Amino acid sequence: MQGNINVHKRLVLVFLVLTSCLAIILLRLAWLQFVRGGELQQKALSNRLNVMPVAAQRGVIYDRNRHELAVSIESDYIGAFPPEIKDSGKAQEIANTLGSILGLPAQKILEKITSNTGFEFVERQVDYAKAQQIKNLVKEKKLPGIEVVPESRRYYPNGPLAAQVLGFCGIDNQGLEGIEAMYDKELAGEPGKIVMEFDALGHEIPRATHRYIPPQNGHSLVLTIDQTIQYIAERELDKIMASPTNPKKANIIIMDPKTGEILAMASRPAFDPNNFNKYPNSVWGNPLVRDAYEPGSAFKIITAAAALEEGVVKPGDRFYDPGYIKVGPDTINCWLPGGHGSETFVEGVKNSCNPVFVQTALRLEEKKTGLFYNYIRAFGFGQPTGIDLTGEGTGLLIPQQELKPINIATIGIGQGIAVTPLQLVTAVSAVANGGQLVRPHLVKEILDDKGNVLKRFEPEVERQVISPETARQLRDMLETVVSEGTGRNAYIPGYRVGGKTGTAQKAGPGGYMEGKYVASFVGMAPVNDPRLVALVTIDEPKGYPYYGGTLAAPIFQRVVADALHYLKVPPQYDSKQGSEEKPAAPVTVPNVTGKDLAAARAELEKAGLAARVEGDSGKVIAQVPKAGAVVPAGTKVILYLQGDPNRPRVPDVNSLRVTEAAEVLAAYGLQLVPEGTGQAGEQNPIPGTIVTPGSSVRVKFHEPAQEVLGP
Amino acid sequence: MRRRAGPFDFVLFLAVMLLLGMGVIMVFSASALTSSYNYGDALYFLKRQLLWALLGLMGLFLVVQFDYSRLKKLAAPFLVLAILLLILVLVIGITTRGSSRWLGIGSLAFQPSETIKLAMVIFLAASLADNRQRLGDLAQGLGPYLALLAVVCLLILAQPDLGTAVAVAGTTFLMLAIAGADKRHLAFLAALGLGAVALAIIIAPYRMARFTAFIDPWADPRGNGYQTIQSLLAVGSGGLFGTGLGQGRQKLYYVPENHTDFIFAILSEELGFIGAALVIILFLILVWRGFQTAFKAPDTFGTLLAAGLTSMLALQAIINMGVVTGLLPVTGITLPLVSYGGSSLIFSLLGIGILLNISRYAGS
Repeated sequence: MQGNINVHKRLVLVFLVLTSCLAIILLRLAWLQFVRGGELQQKALSNRLNVMPVAAQRGVIYDRNRHELAVSIESDYIGAFPPEIKDSGKAQEIANTLGSILGLPAQKILEKITSNTGFEFVERQVDYAKAQQIKNLVKEKKLPGIEVVPESRRYYPNGPLAAQVLGFCGIDNQGLEGIEAMYDKELAGEPGKIVMEFDALGHEIPRATHRYIPPQNGHSLVLTIDQTIQYIAERELDKIMASPTNPKKANIIIMDPKTGEILAMASRPAFDPNNFNKYPNSVWGNPLVRDAYEPGSAFKIITAAAALEEGVVKPGDRFYDPGYIKVGPDTINCWLPGGHGSETFVEGVKNSCNPVFVQTALRLEEKKTGLFYNYIRAFGFGQPTGIDLTGEGTGLLIPQQELKPINIATIGIGQGIAVTPLQLVTAVSAVANGGQLVRPHLVKEILDDKGNVLKRFEPEVERQVISPETARQLRDMLETVVSEGTGRNAYIPGYRVGGKTGTAQKAGPGGYMEGKYVASFVGMAPVNDPRLVALVTIDEPKGYPYYGGTLAAPIFQRVVADALHYLKVPPQYDSKQGSEEKPAAPVTVPNVTGKDLAAARAELEKAGLAARVEGDSGKVIAQVPKAGAVVPAGTKVILYLQGDPNRPRVPDVNSLRVTEAAEVLAAYGLQLVPEGTGQAGEQNPIPGTIVTPGSSVRVKFHEPAQEVLGP
Repeated sequence: MRRRAGPFDFVLFLAVMLLLGMGVIMVFSASALTSSYNYGDALYFLKRQLLWALLGLMGLFLVVQFDYSRLKKLAAPFLVLAILLLILVLVIGITTRGSSRWLGIGSLAFQPSETIKLAMVIFLAASLADNRQRLGDLAQGLGPYLALLAVVCLLILAQPDLGTAVAVAGTTFLMLAIAGADKRHLAFLAALGLGAVALAIIIAPYRMARFTAFIDPWADPRGNGYQTIQSLLAVGSGGLFGTGLGQGRQKLYYVPENHTDFIFAILSEELGFIGAALVIILFLILVWRGFQTAFKAPDTFGTLLAAGLTSMLALQAIINMGVVTGLLPVTGITLPLVSYGGSSLIFSLLGIGILLNISRYAGS
């Protein structure tokens, strides 16, 4: 069997070949399952998982009275699962349908929904109607692999109001500017997701990995901003921007000096955060915390504070101003040609006299080198205030080692130093609150999504900069600036106002620029216990006058007057009385509406008030001021008598405010058609005209006329 | 010489039954969800596979009683019949996914590819047993076999069914080798075979794409590399113990042909290395006992027949598992005894029946 032996040899050979092939497969299997097992398993899982993001509801931004400034509204996004779409073989059809509903090119959609990914956004933040249309088609199973998923869209109900404070959000609701950016972590919450395991055809796998990780809704913020005061400030800014003065920029910042709470922070030009990308990105930022400017005379407050605190000047110290002052080889002129002559320090403050403040600054430096700068730093200049906003600037200080006497001299009058509006307001607030530098802030409270307070921001005092006594002294001086000095345009009838004007020529490359100024006014009210500190800056006003006293002070006056009224800060004395006199004791106006004239008179007299009567017969149907108002004793309350209700006579609403006039006219069954703002003037029909009930009365309102003064 | 038949090789039988059992379970696990999607019946494939297994086992037990030596006379007619069926399938076959592999109607359809595998092995064993002394002669000995192989392979490739062609060619080659073909001739044949495969790959773009995808499946993960990648992901997901029976994920349309050509991938995922290694070991046992049967067979026909049947099963298993583990490019071939498929299962079991019958005459 020679042959069979050969066959057996070959048999063994073939057997070995086959078994070694099987052995190789065994080894390969071990390698795949042990060495590469984890990696392949991971790949297999991610291959099967589709993750659909579920947006968290972004928190609301409220003003201090819980008015909504920024909210999230429901919206939808259109998502696509490309593998499912490709398997369906209807990609082109789907793209066409979506394209026509969304108004997008079908080709672009086709690219997205057939990409080599597990999930794609087709379109974000889709309008309700369009989303609904697509939802229906999805329900009818006409759009395989397409999902309509809720997400939220940021909405700012007041449009541009406080835009630079609030900032705005991008497409993924991520805060990009302002509070939205600063507090993005708190507002955003944690997005959730739906993780689904799919088979290769896009069916959900039963009992498979299917997790819903719910989103953690964001926290809400309560700002220190008061929507109404903010509105008042922006109203005035819009006015000045629309006026012939038409400045390049204008800003107002209002702060509660005791707490550092920012009540209003307004800037023009502004933008609508709902459509932020329709505006140049140059207006997105917040110039009040970012941009530095030369404060000019307004900075004299700081000079005076330091000098009074150090005792290098006394209020009664006499100075002589020949119209200029020499500092080494340099000459600094007073803004008043010919000078103010002999004057006390108080008068120097009132007159905003440059030579007085140059000498004051130099006296500080004489007492101790670097002393003035120490105060400037102590007041917070040259460093961020620490406000809770991104992009805060530090202003600009000349490095101390490069400081020459001429620099000290000019800084004394607010030149050669650049500050941010926020820094100046914070520093002046220290004068207003008795010498404490408080940290300005914009967020009062953080709330959870049920409205519970998670965190409350208490006022933070950085340091005591000057003594309460120095602060009080200086406030009195600042009041004279308004009552008799350069700041008279800031005078608010009924309130004690203190402040300082500023008019600074803008510096550019190669020195100061001709015809380019920043007019400003910084002040506080009421001076004896300031509730508000406000700064108005008008950047590059057109034409003449360009003084802080002429341009900024009137704005300050209107804004602060309205704000004080709004905050129900009791007026301290009748507007006709001089500022030197003691204010009359405040009394509360009783309710006399509905009473006979005689009874009304008697009640008013009892309360220490006088009466003025409009109309000739009938009961009192309206009174100004209203019941409950707190007014100085002796104030005249206007009583409106009814007369014949069917043939009303037009009442005289002269000098009333818009709301007061409207209420009085309404009492007669008449309608107010107001023009302008401020106090009532001309009326049409004229008072006393007999009209039919329901008629309209046109009333022109004016701002109280003010003298135009220098800086 | 009258021979006395002993008991059949029980170890071999046990290995086969284990493979068959694992196959039935895996066919159910792999197909349950997809078949409930596609046919509304999770048991669709299980029921059929059980039926085939039953029919196959009945056939097996009949064949075990049938003296294999009587097959020798049937070898030639059987081959002619099988070739006729191959021709017939090209003419009136049922075409699915570009291949004409089925004859008949509905569930009564069967694959002539499976018939020719068995017919070729029986014919080669019968013919080589008589003519093996002449094999050294290229023209008179080896030549006719090669001609026959060429005809058969061309007919199979015409379906087209490269996997079966490779399995038939490989088995023929191994049987010629065992029968004592000249080493130089075998080397030449091997080179020729590889060349033929290369040619088959080059002339058909889909084979070329499969081949390049085999070299680097990740280059086209959603296209030609898809099958290989999904298969590898399934195998890799298994680890030592697997995800558990029925818990595999890759069978859910990710791995194509999950209950037929890629059942080993699903098995590796669900039963892990332990299950997959068990399958390989069972095939090793099958090869061992099969070749032992060949070794102990009373005549050359028995030896060649046993070795041929074993080689045919082993080669299919190697090719199938090689594809699943990414060692070989994708060819459409089932895992014998395990994959779903009536024709494959019945003819495999018939082959095993012959093998077991030969084992009854061991050493006599």
